[in-house]
Amino acid sequence: MAFSAEEMLALYRKMLLVRRMEEKHGELLASGDIWMMGHFGTGQEAVAIGITAPLKKEDYLFPTHRGVGEFIGKGMVPKDIWAEYYGRTTGLAKGKGGLHLSDVRVGLMGLVGSLGADFAVAVGTALSSKMRGTGQVTMIYFGDGTSNQADFHPSMNLAALWQLPIVFACANNQYSELAHYRETTSTEHIAPRAAGYGVPWKIVEDGNDIQAVYAATAEAVDRARRGEGPTLVEYKTYRIAAHFTGDPGGYQPKEEIEEWKKKDPIDRFRARIIEQKVATADDLENMNREVIAEVEDAVKYAQESPWPAPEDIYQDLYA
Amino acid sequence: MPVITYREALNQALREEMQRDSNVFLMGEDIGLFEGAYKVTAGLFAEFGEKRVRDTPIAEEEIVGLGIGSAMVGLRPVIEIMTINFSLLALDQIVNNAAKLRYMFAGGVQMPLVIRMPEGGGNQLTAQHSQSLAVWFAHVPGLLVVAPSSPADAKGLLKTSIRDNNPVIFIEHFALYNTRGELPDGELLLPIGKADVKRVGEDVTIISHSRMVQVALAAAEQLAGQGISAEVVDLRTLRPLDKETVVNSVRKTSRAVVLEEGWPTYGISAEVTAFVQDMAFDYLDAPIRRIGGAEVPMPYARNVERAAIPSDQTVIAAVKELVA
Repeated sequence: MAFSAEEMLALYRKMLLVRRMEEKHGELLASGDIWMMGHFGTGQEAVAIGITAPLKKEDYLFPTHRGVGEFIGKGMVPKDIWAEYYGRTTGLAKGKGGLHLSDVRVGLMGLVGSLGADFAVAVGTALSSKMRGTGQVTMIYFGDGTSNQADFHPSMNLAALWQLPIVFACANNQYSELAHYRETTSTEHIAPRAAGYGVPWKIVEDGNDIQAVYAATAEAVDRARRGEGPTLVEYKTYRIAAHFTGDPGGYQPKEEIEEWKKKDPIDRFRARIIEQKVATADDLENMNREVIAEVEDAVKYAQESPWPAPEDIYQDLYA
Repeated sequence: MPVITYREALNQALREEMQRDSNVFLMGEDIGLFEGAYKVTAGLFAEFGEKRVRDTPIAEEEIVGLGIGSAMVGLRPVIEIMTINFSLLALDQIVNNAAKLRYMFAGGVQMPLVIRMPEGGGNQLTAQHSQSLAVWFAHVPGLLVVAPSSPADAKGLLKTSIRDNNPVIFIEHFALYNTRGELPDGELLLPIGKADVKRVGEDVTIISHSRMVQVALAAAEQLAGQGISAEVVDLRTLRPLDKETVVNSVRKTSRAVVLEEGWPTYGISAEVTAFVQDMAFDYLDAPIRRIGGAEVPMPYARNVERAAIPSDQTVIAAVKELVA
């Protein structure tokens, strides 16, 4: 399936927005305006936006800590992200969540602190959808690093045993925290593990091609929605960013990073849009300026929002 | 009033709440076809079927995670963990997710989750299967922790726990399942966070929970024959603690013994002692005495295991020292 012109531009805009959001986060950290460290997903935008595009608003997504890609993809808006990053009352978690963004109105079930613990929680939302007969799909998005967490195994087992509507979406960005994934992972590919549980799997060799990401994911999402059970999809990509904003780096070869910069998913999608005459370079530059303005406005909104009151500290602890 | 066992009381609570609310469902290891390691779910698989009484793999962190996910989006899961000892495998789910997600999302999700599990020793099951770990959960803001001592309390508190929108750690005790007690007629719902005076007395207050309440009552009965009148307060809920009921009793008797089966260091008795001395200092005629299990991994040999668990005789000796 090919994207329509409108779809291409909407997806491109989201990818740009993710990149500009994370660049802004870096600037605000450097200037000391914000203190929350970033774990950016630079270079992985095609995966984050491509996997969320086939999901409906009411579908559940369990995100990763790596940047804002899938949050933007699922429909969270910049001002809600910045308000929470700034710890203000206008944040959806009223300054209690910070990095651990959630927006249940768009099915974003929040970032948990122990990556991989949400495998089981995601199987739980999928179980609930199935038991309630709502037709909702759950997606658990994770990286090659998290694929080695203990809950991966029982979650794949149960999702398959009970044929739950869930998609396991693995971004293999080749680095798990501060090491190449092959230093800590016994196999080159993650996805074939699914076969051990009787779960269909697929590898998207070019995870920097949003069309390829979208196509493979849409098939898995449709399968889940038809009640045919889980699928594991692995997307090969590359983490151009360091693990976190204080990461001194050095473990990713410079040549490797430069090589992957040439495969930047945003540049490639931009070239395709121009080549297919969906938009001109000028159009896309105008879009970029709009996106930058949207990010600036959202940051300003957060900066001007009130701090939470210390006396509200116990609010929302219990129902 | 009918007399039933603690096990039957729990079973009635589950059945009644499942009949009342189709969103209530059960998950755990061998709780369906086999009807539970301790038969608490007897008859429920036959009545409600495999969709609502779900046998799970042996994977505690997964079962609790499933409970959390399904509770976040519309269901009311009641999880059975075979014993509290295996809850250690699910601690991240309980402490990091069940207890915190509601707060971290500023109320964006509810967490109507009940995790049932028995604790305690006395069956020669040795160090890793005989622990009393309620305090680990009672330490965590965001959780409610309930530990009933009688069939009526077990039924009334389990029904309330299932209806509550917070995560409830519901602690049972191996040695209580066959104990019997009277059950009031009609719908039985008991509030979480309310202690109960199980025996009225004048000379000393014995504060306890779960099976140790039965030990305290046995001690009080013997003490009465020796001219000492002991009041027994059952905490029933460990988080939040009903300080008022405890303190009112101690203000009346002026002496307190705090009894728990678990290790007392940093334990429930430590917490109770702290607030009693704070709120009733001027009423105390003697230091508060604490009694707990021996601070060792539970040994196997029958006589040594018995010595490691507080008994009525331990309590009687402590009370006599206090009132002497």
